[in-house]
Amino acid sequence: MSIPTLQGLQTALSGLIAEQTALDTTGNNIANANTEGYSRETATMEPNPSIVIPAISAQTGEGAQLGAGVTTASITRIRNLYLDAQYRVQNSSLGAATADAEVLERAQAAFNEPSTAGIATQLSTFWSAWNSLAESPASLAAKNEVVSAGTQLATSFNELSAQLTTFATQAGEEYNSLTGPSGEVEDYANQLAQLNRQIKLAEEANTPPDTMLDRRDQLLDKLSSLANITVTEEADHMDTVTFGEAAQPLVQGTTVNWPQTLTETSGGRLGALIKLTGPNGTLTAVQEQLDEVASTLSSTVNGVLPKAFFSGASAATLAVALSAKEVQASGTGNPGGNELAQSIAALRGGAAEQEYAGLVEKVGSDVRTAQDDKTNLQTTLLAVNDQRQSVSGVSLDEEMTNLITYQRGYQASARTLTAMSEMLETLIEHTGVVGL
Amino acid sequence: MSERITPEMVTSRTLSDLGSSLAALERTTNELSSGNTILEPSDNPYGASQVIDLQSQLDGLTGYEKEAQNGISWESTASSAMTNIGEVTQRVRELLVEGANGTYNNNDLETMALQVEQLTESVKQDANTQYAGQYVFSGTASTTAPYETGSGDEYKGNSESVSRAVGPSATVTVTTNISTLLGSGEAAEDGKLLDTLRTIAKNMREGSAGQAALGTTDLQKLDGNIETLTQLQAISGSATQQLHTALARNEQLQTTITAALANTDATNIPSASVQYANEQAAYEAALRASATIVQESLLNFLQ
Repeated sequence: MSIPTLQGLQTALSGLIAEQTALDTTGNNIANANTEGYSRETATMEPNPSIVIPAISAQTGEGAQLGAGVTTASITRIRNLYLDAQYRVQNSSLGAATADAEVLERAQAAFNEPSTAGIATQLSTFWSAWNSLAESPASLAAKNEVVSAGTQLATSFNELSAQLTTFATQAGEEYNSLTGPSGEVEDYANQLAQLNRQIKLAEEANTPPDTMLDRRDQLLDKLSSLANITVTEEADHMDTVTFGEAAQPLVQGTTVNWPQTLTETSGGRLGALIKLTGPNGTLTAVQEQLDEVASTLSSTVNGVLPKAFFSGASAATLAVALSAKEVQASGTGNPGGNELAQSIAALRGGAAEQEYAGLVEKVGSDVRTAQDDKTNLQTTLLAVNDQRQSVSGVSLDEEMTNLITYQRGYQASARTLTAMSEMLETLIEHTGVVGL
Repeated sequence: MSERITPEMVTSRTLSDLGSSLAALERTTNELSSGNTILEPSDNPYGASQVIDLQSQLDGLTGYEKEAQNGISWESTASSAMTNIGEVTQRVRELLVEGANGTYNNNDLETMALQVEQLTESVKQDANTQYAGQYVFSGTASTTAPYETGSGDEYKGNSESVSRAVGPSATVTVTTNISTLLGSGEAAEDGKLLDTLRTIAKNMREGSAGQAALGTTDLQKLDGNIETLTQLQAISGSATQQLHTALARNEQLQTTITAALANTDATNIPSASVQYANEQAAYEAALRASATIVQESLLNFLQ
């Protein structure tokens, strides 16, 4: 058997087609260089099965292998599943740390310390008012000052307590809106289930579902910031997604199981929101300690006086119970006696202030821990994302180089075609006309 | 690590670095403009609680300082009243010595008695001295005048003391119990100053009959009263001294605590300024570098 006459044309054509496919792939990469979540693709070329031509190798009898051109074996989406998993773990932690930092920073701002307007200053003003009363024990003006300083102090406690309660309520509302009907969780879950179905259909029809895969990965990234997730790809190419500590998978095939109960160990933003306002939460602890400060203040001051100065034993209920005329600087009833006023002024720097300073320190270190966590996780996430980008991202330099490579390849294939054509022209036009 | 570097990696990394550069710059600006290094408790949790603690101590010292100064003014009011009483008493003593020497007739003695009575009135007025609306010699009955003007000599105040707090668990008594000097007059027969003065006036009125007592028992009693006054003045003087000492110690402590507060919280301006300059330079360099690098790609060089 000899070489088929038109084989060369076919080979050149396969080159043209393969190079064009590669050029198209490169073009698509370049077009999507800045598309979020896009994974680059490469066209993998493969030689066509060669043609055995026994006649040429008559000597050995095995025949010669003649190449039959090239084919595009596949267009591969470049993605590393392990990096995706790593990214999502870090992203969950970052989501939790971000929620912690946001809520606690708000609480810290409500304390407004150190400043000239915080509770520490109000306490100091309160003690100073008793100092003044000790100097003029019978003065109604001094008594008025004591009552007004006490009222301001109590109001500051009330306001701070109310603000902390508001932050807890807001955290609860945010949780409800994220997890509620048509909240982010449900929205993501529905989209994932739909993508699962489309991907399965595409795979069955043998159409590469690359765009849908990118979209699904992107959704999973977003979902991971809300709670810990695990993703298992099933044999039918559908992803099963577990979410937080929920009893059933959030997405299984095309089914969405939501709403479900999450716990404070669910991780991510949702876990952090549950935890902050839960019985062991940081915000709850701050609220409780503030109540303790208020109760200590109330009991130490009231302990000195025959008639209770403060009513209410929590930060929210603290109030001044006496009118200016009822304030006594002395227990003896003598207008010049000042021993009670002095005893109260001597409470300055005592238990209430110590507890308050301790609380400010606690809030400060809580915020700091959350901020440090957040910063560290951001750095880690950036590094993981870099690794992911390094694998899946589009490098324009690389694409430009590929562009030139494939362009040259195409040009060369075209030149081969011309050469073949000229060869055939010789055969068809100029053969057999000798001697005419 | 990464073999492939994509433009997105460069941009995201650059952006993140520029962000932290700018954050550092903003931080230093805040420290410089506020003058404090602890702007929020999270900047330095322990430091923040220290600031609250130290500030409370400082406010406490200011309170003690105010009380001590108030005590000093109180004592100085009391002391000048006692000085007046001392002068009056000396004048009575002179009259007493004059009246005792026998050269004066009954009319002269009557005039002297009138003078003594006037001086008695002035002693009572001095005893009724007020400071900031409070009678300084009434003990804790500070709204009641210790003595009524006129013939009634009964002490209306009480013997309870009033003190000023000048430090943690340090108090100074500022009241002087004037009744130990003045007593409650003739009716009480307590031999105190008012009793003595009334007796002197009575003896002078009695003319030659009472004259003998003037130079003997009356003079002895008066001298005894003058000694009591000197003692009271010494006590008041020592209280003033204590208040001044407390004030000096207070000032020293305030300086120490202010310094501690500055160490914890105040911005070190020179070092912060240098840091600011460095951070600004670094930020500008980063901006310049990113502006140049990120623009470049193979595209710029392909024909």
